Amino acid sequence: MMQTFRQDWLSNIRNDLLSGVVVALALIPEAIAFSIIAGVDPKVGLYAAFSMATVIAFAGGRPGMVSAATGAMALVMVSLVKEHGLQYMLAATLLTGVLQMIIGWAGFDRLMRFVSRSVITGFANALAILIFLAQLPELIRVPWAVYPLVAAGLAIIYLLPRITRVVPSPLVAIVVLTIVTAAFGIHVPTVGDKGQLPDSLPMFLMPDVPLNFETLRIIFPVSLAMAVVGLLESMMTATLIDDFTDTSSNKRRECVGQGVANIATGFLGGMAGCAMIGQSVINVKSGGRGRLSTLTAGVVLLVMVVFLGDWVARIPMAALVAVMIMVSIGTFNWGSIRNLREHPKSSSVVMLATVAVVVATDNLALGVLTGVLLSGFFFAHKVGSILRVSSRADAEGRSRTYTVTGQVFFASADAFISRFDFKEVIDKVHIDVSRAHFWDITAISALDKVILKFRREATEVEVTGLNEASATLVDKFAVHDKDGAEDLLMSH
Amino acid sequence: MPDHNKVTACVDHSRFADYVTDYGAWAAQRMGTLLDLLHVLDRHPETAASSSDHSGAIGLGAQDDLLQELAESERQTLLSARERGRTLLARLRQRALDAGAAEVDIRQRLGELTQTLVEQAPAIGLLVLGRRGASAEQSGRDIGRHVEAIVRALHIPILTVTDAFTPPQRVLIAYDGGSMTRRAVEWVGAQPLLAGLDITVCMASTPSAQTEKALDWARQTLQSRGMTAQALARAGDPESVISAVLKEQNIDLLIMGAYSHSPVRKLLLGSKTADLLRASTIPTLLLR
Repeated sequence: MMQTFRQDWLSNIRNDLLSGVVVALALIPEAIAFSIIAGVDPKVGLYAAFSMATVIAFAGGRPGMVSAATGAMALVMVSLVKEHGLQYMLAATLLTGVLQMIIGWAGFDRLMRFVSRSVITGFANALAILIFLAQLPELIRVPWAVYPLVAAGLAIIYLLPRITRVVPSPLVAIVVLTIVTAAFGIHVPTVGDKGQLPDSLPMFLMPDVPLNFETLRIIFPVSLAMAVVGLLESMMTATLIDDFTDTSSNKRRECVGQGVANIATGFLGGMAGCAMIGQSVINVKSGGRGRLSTLTAGVVLLVMVVFLGDWVARIPMAALVAVMIMVSIGTFNWGSIRNLREHPKSSSVVMLATVAVVVATDNLALGVLTGVLLSGFFFAHKVGSILRVSSRADAEGRSRTYTVTGQVFFASADAFISRFDFKEVIDKVHIDVSRAHFWDITAISALDKVILKFRREATEVEVTGLNEASATLVDKFAVHDKDGAEDLLMSH
Repeated sequence: MPDHNKVTACVDHSRFADYVTDYGAWAAQRMGTLLDLLHVLDRHPETAASSSDHSGAIGLGAQDDLLQELAESERQTLLSARERGRTLLARLRQRALDAGAAEVDIRQRLGELTQTLVEQAPAIGLLVLGRRGASAEQSGRDIGRHVEAIVRALHIPILTVTDAFTPPQRVLIAYDGGSMTRRAVEWVGAQPLLAGLDITVCMASTPSAQTEKALDWARQTLQSRGMTAQALARAGDPESVISAVLKEQNIDLLIMGAYSHSPVRKLLLGSKTADLLRASTIPTLLLR
């Protein structure tokens, strides 16, 4: 245990501290931008970023993964904030944490294997598109000076790293644009215009909502969606970091940890959050590996916003928009566009459907659900088409042997029935299913139907080779070998 | 030649690797088993290799690029480490064959040393370790960072060796009459490893009827296996008695039972074993 502690916290101290600072600097604009998306004061997002990053450093199962206020969660809570206000959102955050702890403890991580690669790609792309779309209000009906500022910000962010990689270029962009707007007296919207910034350390508070069934009815659907979205993004990000660092992580601990972090965040007056793909990439890229990196990020962030609050208020929104465009570009999986042509059509459809549903509904959980269901359909279709029925006549045309090969289940049952010729005048039919598998009761009833149909035509039927698994199902559910079989067919 | 119950010698790039190989060859020869030279390429994924990039900017294809970049840098480090390790193992293999080992296998594995050994333990009959390794050589520690962790984690006989190789002639068994050390005596009796050597069973206790009885049991156990053994009891605390006898009798191999299983005793006796290990300057065989 001592060894794990050392490994998680102390094996990479210098790099963790440095990358923690880089991440903190990159978190500030994002936390502010996401609170604006959700429709709350910037301080709600900043407190959330502090509390999520700090708590997950201890409670999480994936060292080095950054959690904070995220776009994915912000988008789900928009309508709740609009209709019921901040306090209900805080209560929803608490409930999200509780739900995540329960779902996580029950083994949510194991469900992740049903989420295919295409769905994960679709999720990341949809997230990137949503983050980008959320910037549009800041770009429409604004003073013309905003546009050159955003362009200058992007130029600094992407070109500065070619000259030096010692300082975070998003930070330089923010500082330069703030100084330029202040020095030349350019009037553009600033962070201060968007609401209150933190002026003190966060405090422990109970959300001010009535504790009754009505409240639960309002917050539960939102909380459930947030719980699922948060865990999904966290699990996907964890897998990504696992790949980057070639290490394994404790996914169940991460799920429960996300719950703990959200509960703490709710009590500290922050919005619900989860793991962040973009920030985690930045962390690993900057050398962050251990828990110390995320703890540093949280603490540095809080110290900076509390003590530099006046300056943070003067940051022009144009600078934040530039940073968020960068995050959106970095989150989008550009290879997936190229792959559209190369990958199987079904994978591409799953990916595009996931993106489409998310963009249409703003709800990442619905998009993932759509993607998972579609993958299921496509898989069933593919496996269902692995079914072959061949036949040959024997005993001088008095009998015929059908040989069935492949998978018989709900998706292939109709095809299975249609392969038999019931109108053939014949004494006996022999069905060899030794190389087929009957998966479910739909398959069994299809076999029943075939047998009974042959019997009606006065053809004797013999089935051989039902393997053990199929045989169990047949024993339980088949009707052809039980009394009154014909009557049953008549009643259909 | 059976490859279970084999002698596994852990080597690294320190100068101790030579002596570890020598002792491994000696033990494998006496036990009539295979000698396996194991070199673990210790990777530290929890530590970033380099972090010159603090730009915090992510652009087109950031995830793929980063993955490629990390994989490539690890591949490069590994390639050179692998080659270096292979050269080392080839040299040590020759050394072991020259020393008389009948069959020598070499093996490089990726991972953490203790964890690797835990995985390999079921096939290992005797593990040979340098008391210090490459890291201790730099830090000047008197006992290798890994040794204590390995001794705690493994339940197999472990021979920890020091600075030079001399074929052991005079062996001392640290004995207290308890079940752990009785098992050590039985192990010695059952193995061809120490057959024909000059064995002394030493007990740190005031000579009494009880002490005499316990020592008698040890002597008879060994004699029934055809070994010559003398017994010795002396008053004092185990540490000083044993180090005195080691010097007086010119002992070149110390055998002791290490770390009992109960956590409380582990805490108490464990540190005792580590102390003894630190104090003794001769090869020590730990039996559990």
